[in-house]
Amino acid sequence: MTHDSMTDSDSGTDTQATDGGRESLASNDLEGSDPTTEPLVDSSIDVDGRSDAPASADRTVIESNDLDVYYDDVQALQSIDIEIPAEKVTAIIGPSGCGKSTFLRCINRMNDLVDAARIDGELLFEGKNVYDDDVDPVVLRRKIGMVFQAPNPFPKSIYDNVAYGLEVQGIEGDYDEIVEEALRRAALWDEVKDQLDSSGLDLSGGQQQRLCIARAIAPDPDVILMDEPASALDPVATSKIEDLIEDLAEEYTVIIVTHNMQQAARISDKTAVFLTGGELVEFDDTNKIFENPEHDRVEDYITGKFG
Amino acid sequence: MATNQGTGEWYGTDEAVSRVRGQAFKTLCLGATLLALLAVFVLLLYVANDAFRPLSADIGWLLSFAATVVLPVLAAVGYYYTRDTKAGETATIALGLPVICLLLAGGVFITFEHIVSVYQWLSILVSLGIAAAIVAAHNRVRADADLERFAVIVGVPALLLWYVPDVILSLPVLPTQSLALLGSFAVPIALATGWFVRRQRESDRDGAIAAAVTIVGAAAGLGVAPVVGLSPFVWMLLVTITGVPVGLYVESVFRRGAGVSGLAFPVLVGGGILMGVVITNALGFTGPNPWLDWGFLTSSPSRTPEDAGFYPPLVGSVMMLLVIVVSAFPVGVGAAIYLEEYAPKRGLLGRVVDLIEVNIGNLAGVPSVVYGVLGLALFIRWGGLGSGTALVGGFTIGLLILPIVIISSQEAIRAVPDSMRQASYGMGATKWQTTRNVVLPEALPGIMTGNILAMGRAIGETAPLLIIGAPAVVRIAPASFTNKFSAMPRQIYTWSSEIDVAFRHGVLAAGVVTLLVVLLLMNGAAIIIRNKYQRRD
Ligand SMILES: Nc1ncnc2c1ncn2[C@@H]1O[C@H](COP(=O)(O)OP(=O)(O)O)[C@@H](O)[C@H]1O
Ligand SMILES: [Mg+2]
Repeated sequence: MTHDSMTDSDSGTDTQATDGGRESLASNDLEGSDPTTEPLVDSSIDVDGRSDAPASADRTVIESNDLDVYYDDVQALQSIDIEIPAEKVTAIIGPSGCGKSTFLRCINRMNDLVDAARIDGELLFEGKNVYDDDVDPVVLRRKIGMVFQAPNPFPKSIYDNVAYGLEVQGIEGDYDEIVEEALRRAALWDEVKDQLDSSGLDLSGGQQQRLCIARAIAPDPDVILMDEPASALDPVATSKIEDLIEDLAEEYTVIIVTHNMQQAARISDKTAVFLTGGELVEFDDTNKIFENPEHDRVEDYITGKFG
Repeated sequence: MATNQGTGEWYGTDEAVSRVRGQAFKTLCLGATLLALLAVFVLLLYVANDAFRPLSADIGWLLSFAATVVLPVLAAVGYYYTRDTKAGETATIALGLPVICLLLAGGVFITFEHIVSVYQWLSILVSLGIAAAIVAAHNRVRADADLERFAVIVGVPALLLWYVPDVILSLPVLPTQSLALLGSFAVPIALATGWFVRRQRESDRDGAIAAAVTIVGAAAGLGVAPVVGLSPFVWMLLVTITGVPVGLYVESVFRRGAGVSGLAFPVLVGGGILMGVVITNALGFTGPNPWLDWGFLTSSPSRTPEDAGFYPPLVGSVMMLLVIVVSAFPVGVGAAIYLEEYAPKRGLLGRVVDLIEVNIGNLAGVPSVVYGVLGLALFIRWGGLGSGTALVGGFTIGLLILPIVIISSQEAIRAVPDSMRQASYGMGATKWQTTRNVVLPEALPGIMTGNILAMGRAIGETAPLLIIGAPAVVRIAPASFTNKFSAMPRQIYTWSSEIDVAFRHGVLAAGVVTLLVVLLLMNGAAIIIRNKYQRRD
């Protein structure tokens, strides 16, 4: 009896250890069959009409050529080639540990903060390789905002949270107005307009995440990167964030990493599918990916038959 | 899962798992805890008994104070505890705040009396004001010259602090001491109060009223204080340091309307004491003759135990702590920031940094005598500073607590979640902006807590003082940082070797209790800061 329960709990930890760790590589085959990590998406998924226009005619803002990323000796991304269109929502999906976050962090050079990370190849933003010597990562990050997986507002007032980017970037202007505008666009204004002086940490998780989005858009960046922004939220908060992302795409280029395939299908125009080992297997219009993907592995992954 | 097991009862006494070892272990741990607490408690009781000698009082005296103070207080505590915990919180703060504020006022009094004169303080303030104006002007005229601005921010105040105070002090006419204090101390506190109230109540009017009331209250001392037998100087300190915080607190309790009945507690205590005094006077009971009384705190050491006092060492300890605050804390916190935020983490240099960090830990364990010898060699023999001065004492003990300051500050900085740094960098902040705007504000309460605890360690250190030559007895409080000084533990050590038993049992105990009270207050402040600013998640 003891022996039975031992093995049982062992395999339990195995299936849970999927996020981010190296061990996730080993447990990938479990993942597709685990109903709790991925929803089973059938091919009759409802894709909205936003992505009907031919995406190939769009201007490219971000482009990578033969991009490799290593953490010490472990390769996390293998020769990624991708062209991300402006003012569209691009979703990045794939199993845990396949390098989605790594790719996102390459775009605004947040990987510079990881000592172990090493990057080969080109990543162009508006035609300029961001890894060139004459690029200041701080300036780059002022053009590319980022929203993280777990809401991480500063322990400051709501107002100061939103104004933070303006302050550090030395942006001039009427802060009251900019803060209000950002909070409105993040669909948070009505809920917090009477408590701008209270701490951002006093908000609920969903509100905190919208606060982080307001903070990211306040300095008016060109691109917004989102790393699983709704994965820590309940369904109601998630759907609010999703609505918000669709609105943002009217002005910004949004790149969103998500674990949730329905979400990708609902909100994105283009979808990139990364698979284990850090390969970009397929990148195309979202409805193409979800209705008729070219690669069998992508189809297997999307339908939950990963293997 | 368990289907392979045979049938049969799975419950009942036979099936229970033995917990004897666990129980035995728990009992042992409990025993250890009790033993430790008991040992410390008995020691404290013993010392407190020696210091206060409650049994030297008449029985009647003890009984009347029990009736007027102890019983009502116990009843009130029982009520607050069982019925109204909110009011209980209010009661604790309402009693504690005035006490702490009074002690603080005492500290400020000592500072102005012995360390910086009111005029020096005024001149320092004026210099800093001029410096701030120059920096602001420079900022406006040359907005982009970053390096130049840095030089100005560091250089101008330093230069002004070097020259301006002397000029001001040599002016032929100076305002009276009380006026100078009013301008240089009461006005800034009134402004701060007004600003605070304005922010709290979001009303300019309320802020202005609060500031005006503070100023008027302090200025009233010029006329009223002599009438009630205080100097205007003391009156002003009392109003600004005790009156203002207590007033603000009482006001906030009434405004929030929760636990108002707790405000009765300090009145109960104060009234009880007053009544006890009246009753015992009327009935002619004599009180105890404690060693630790007002005279002990305010007079100098003496050859006769009855006259012996603790004032000069008290002042010496305060001066030493000041030296530590301005020398060891900036160095220690700076080192901690470098090690946590900037030092290389990988490669050969990272290994060197690791080695340094391990050795900082080792330095924290080096015996204090060794630091005394180091201080002697470094500051007195090599640096040419006079032996036994507050400056050398502060430097030496500052060196001793430096590792503790570094380690505790490092821990506070490390506790700032990385997600916050990431958020800041993601917004396009530079490393400096991230450290200044996010990491340091978030780590500050932890850093302060650690620093105050380190101060607690510093105030009790004895051996280094012996070695750097702090004299056994100092009869007048040191007038400057370069005079010979004594600190509380040094004086206690002197008393411990007196031949007269009254010194070794009575006066010594009084000194120990004073030292412990200061220590407990500092640790209490550290705990309050920690609890107040602890992250709420
Ligand atoms: N800071 C890091 N140090 C070392 N390895 C890392 C680090 N971050 C990610 N990795 C590794 O890189 C791979 C990709 O991780 P990540 O980009 O976080 O995947 P995803 O976001 O798709 O779950 C994983 O194997 C992970 O273990
Ligand atoms: Mg990720």
